Amino acid sequence: MDTLTHILNGFSVCLQPINLWYTFVGVFLGTIIGVLPGIGPSAGIALLIPVTYGMNPTSALIMMAGIYYGTKYGGSTTAILINTPGESASVMTAIDGYQMAKKGRGGAALAISAVGSFIAGTLGVVGLTLFAIPLTSMALKFGPAEYFMLMFFAMTAVSTLAGKSPAKAVIATLIGLMISTIGIDLQSGQPRYTMGVPELQDGVGFVIAVVGLFAIAEVFSQMEDMTKGVRPEIIKLQGRLWFTREEWNLSVRPILRGGVIGFIIGVLPGAGGTIASIMSYVWEKRLSKHPERFGHGAIEGVAGPEAANNSDTAGALVPLLTLGIPGGGATAVMLGAFIMYGIQPGPLLFQNRPDLVWGLVDSMYVGNIMLLILNLPLIGLFVRLLYIPGGMLMALIMAISTIGIYAINGNPVELYFGLLFGVMGYVFRKVDIPVAPLVLSLVLGGIMEQSFRQAMTISGANPGIFVGSTICIVLLALSVLSVLLPFMLPRLKSWREGSANAEA
Amino acid sequence: MGVCYHPSPEEKRTMMTDRVIFVCTIVVAAVYLYATTLIPTLEIGDPLGPKAFPRLLGFCLLLAAAMLFVEMWKDRQTAAAAPAPSGPRDVRHLWILAGVVVWSGLFYAVLERLGYVVASAIYLLALMAWFNRGKWRANVVTAVLFSVSSYALFAKLEVNLPKGILPF
Repeated sequence: MDTLTHILNGFSVCLQPINLWYTFVGVFLGTIIGVLPGIGPSAGIALLIPVTYGMNPTSALIMMAGIYYGTKYGGSTTAILINTPGESASVMTAIDGYQMAKKGRGGAALAISAVGSFIAGTLGVVGLTLFAIPLTSMALKFGPAEYFMLMFFAMTAVSTLAGKSPAKAVIATLIGLMISTIGIDLQSGQPRYTMGVPELQDGVGFVIAVVGLFAIAEVFSQMEDMTKGVRPEIIKLQGRLWFTREEWNLSVRPILRGGVIGFIIGVLPGAGGTIASIMSYVWEKRLSKHPERFGHGAIEGVAGPEAANNSDTAGALVPLLTLGIPGGGATAVMLGAFIMYGIQPGPLLFQNRPDLVWGLVDSMYVGNIMLLILNLPLIGLFVRLLYIPGGMLMALIMAISTIGIYAINGNPVELYFGLLFGVMGYVFRKVDIPVAPLVLSLVLGGIMEQSFRQAMTISGANPGIFVGSTICIVLLALSVLSVLLPFMLPRLKSWREGSANAEA
Repeated sequence: MGVCYHPSPEEKRTMMTDRVIFVCTIVVAAVYLYATTLIPTLEIGDPLGPKAFPRLLGFCLLLAAAMLFVEMWKDRQTAAAAPAPSGPRDVRHLWILAGVVVWSGLFYAVLERLGYVVASAIYLLALMAWFNRGKWRANVVTAVLFSVSSYALFAKLEVNLPKGILPF
C-alpha cells in the first residue's frame, strides 16, 4: 500500500510544470540524437551532464532518461529512410524498414515504429514499476561481497555477450578498470598512476572518457567514411503516415512479443537493445507463416524489433535503479550522472528518495506519450535533420564535445584527454575492441574496488568471502554461465540446423 | 562442399591486428604492474592497501591476453596459416584524421586566449571547408551562428565558456 502511494506521488512530481518541461526537452533531444547518425544515447547524455549542474537532480535525471528512451524512437527514422541505423539498436529496423520505404510504404513503417515503440515502451515502464520493489527488497540483503560479485557478473556478461570476441571485450573491461584506478586512492590517500600530472589526481572524469570514446571517435569514423566517399541515399517520405488495418493486424503480436523480449533482455546485464531487437527479428521470422517476406519489407520485421529496443530501455533501468548497477554503456553513463549529483541509486534510494525514483519512473509514462506525438505528426520536422550535410554535422559535434568537456572544470588540459580518448575509441573500433564494456567498468571501477576492499576487511583478507553466501554463489554461477554461453550457443545452433536439415 | 577454405585479405588483416593487440595487451599489463610497485604504501588503515586491487587487475589482463591467444589459435585452425597481409592499403583517411586531431589540438590551445566564439568559428569553418566543400555561404553562416548562439545558450545555463578577446 505504501508503495502505491509512492508511485502515485511520483506522478505529482513528474507532472510539475518544470519536470514536464524537462521530460519534453529530454525526449525531444533524444529523438534528435536518435535521428542523427554518429551520436548515440551514451554520448548524448554525457554531453549534457555539464549543462545540468545547476538543475535539481530529479529534473536532470528525468531529462537524461528522456534522452535515453527518446533515442530509440529517433533511431528508427534514420534506419527506415537511409538504411543506416541512427542508433545501434535500430540495425534490424533498417532491413525491412528500408525495403518498405523503397516500396513507398515508408510512412507505414515510421508509423508502426512509433506506435510499436509507444506500446512496448509503456509496457516496459509498467514492468519497471512492478519489478522494482521485489528487487530492492532483495538488494537490501547485499553486503560488499555480494555487490562485488554482482558487478563482476555485470562485467562478465557485458564482455561475453557484447561482441564477437570475448577476449577483446575482457581486455576492454580491464582497461576501463585500470583507468578507474588512476588518481588519489580514497582510502589510503596515495596517488596512483598520476605520473605527476595534477589533472589526473582526481582521476579521469568519465564524461571526458565517454565523450571521447563515443562522440569524438564516432566523428572520426564518419570522417573516414566521408573521405572514402560513402554516401547514403535518403528516401523521400511519401504517402500517408499511417498503416492499413491489415498491416496493423500483422504487427500487433510482434509488438507485444517484442515488448516482452526487450524488457527481459534489458533487465539482464550485457545484452542490450541491439541484441533485443535481433532476437525479436529472428523470433518473428521463425514464427511467421511467410518467412520469405522478411528482408523484402515485412512490417513485422519493423514492428517487433522497434518494440523490443524500446522496452529494453525500461528494463535496463531496473538494475540501475534497484541495485545501482548498470548493465550497459548508456545506463553506465546515467550512473555516472547520479553519482555526480551525490545520489547513489540502489535499494536505499527507494526508501530515502521515493519522490525522485518514482518521479523518474512515472515521467517515462508521460515521456512516451510525448514521443508518440513527436514521432507521428511532427516526424517531418525530424526527417529534415537527415538533410544536414554530414561534414557540417561532424564539425558541430566536435564543437559540442569541446563545450561538454570544457564545461566540467574549465580546464583545457582535459580537452586533450578527450581527444586522446577519441583516438583510442577510433582505434578500438577499427580493431573490433568494444568500448561499451570499457565505459561500464570505468564508471563502476571505483565502487567495485571499494566493495572489494570492504569485503576483504570484513573477512580478514580471506577471499573465501566472495563465495561465502548463497547470493554470491548464484552470482558466480551466473558469471560462469555467461562465459560459457557463447561457446555453447554455436554448438546448439549447428545442432539445431543439423536436425532441421535432417527433417528436410 | 569439400571446397578448400582460403582466408580473405580482410581475415588476414584481422589476424594481423589480433597479434598486435596481443602484444600491446601484454605491454600494457607489464607497464601497469610495474607502475603498481611504485605506489607508495603506508602499512596502516585497511589490510589490503592501495596496491592489491590493481595487482589483481594487472594479472587478469595477462589472463585476458592468454584468452586472446587461444581465440587467435582457434581462428588459425579454421583459416589455415596465413602470411602477413601485403599490398598497398588506402591510408589517405589516416592522414586526414591526423590533420583533424592536430587541428583540434590547436583549437584547444588557443581556446582560452582567443575566446570560445572566435576560436570555434575558425575551427568549424576550417573543418567544414574540408568536409563540406564548396558550400562557402552555408558554412560561414553555420560556423558563426553556431559559435555565437552556443556561447549565449551556455552563458544562460551558467556554463561560462572563455570569452577571450571579445568584450562581452
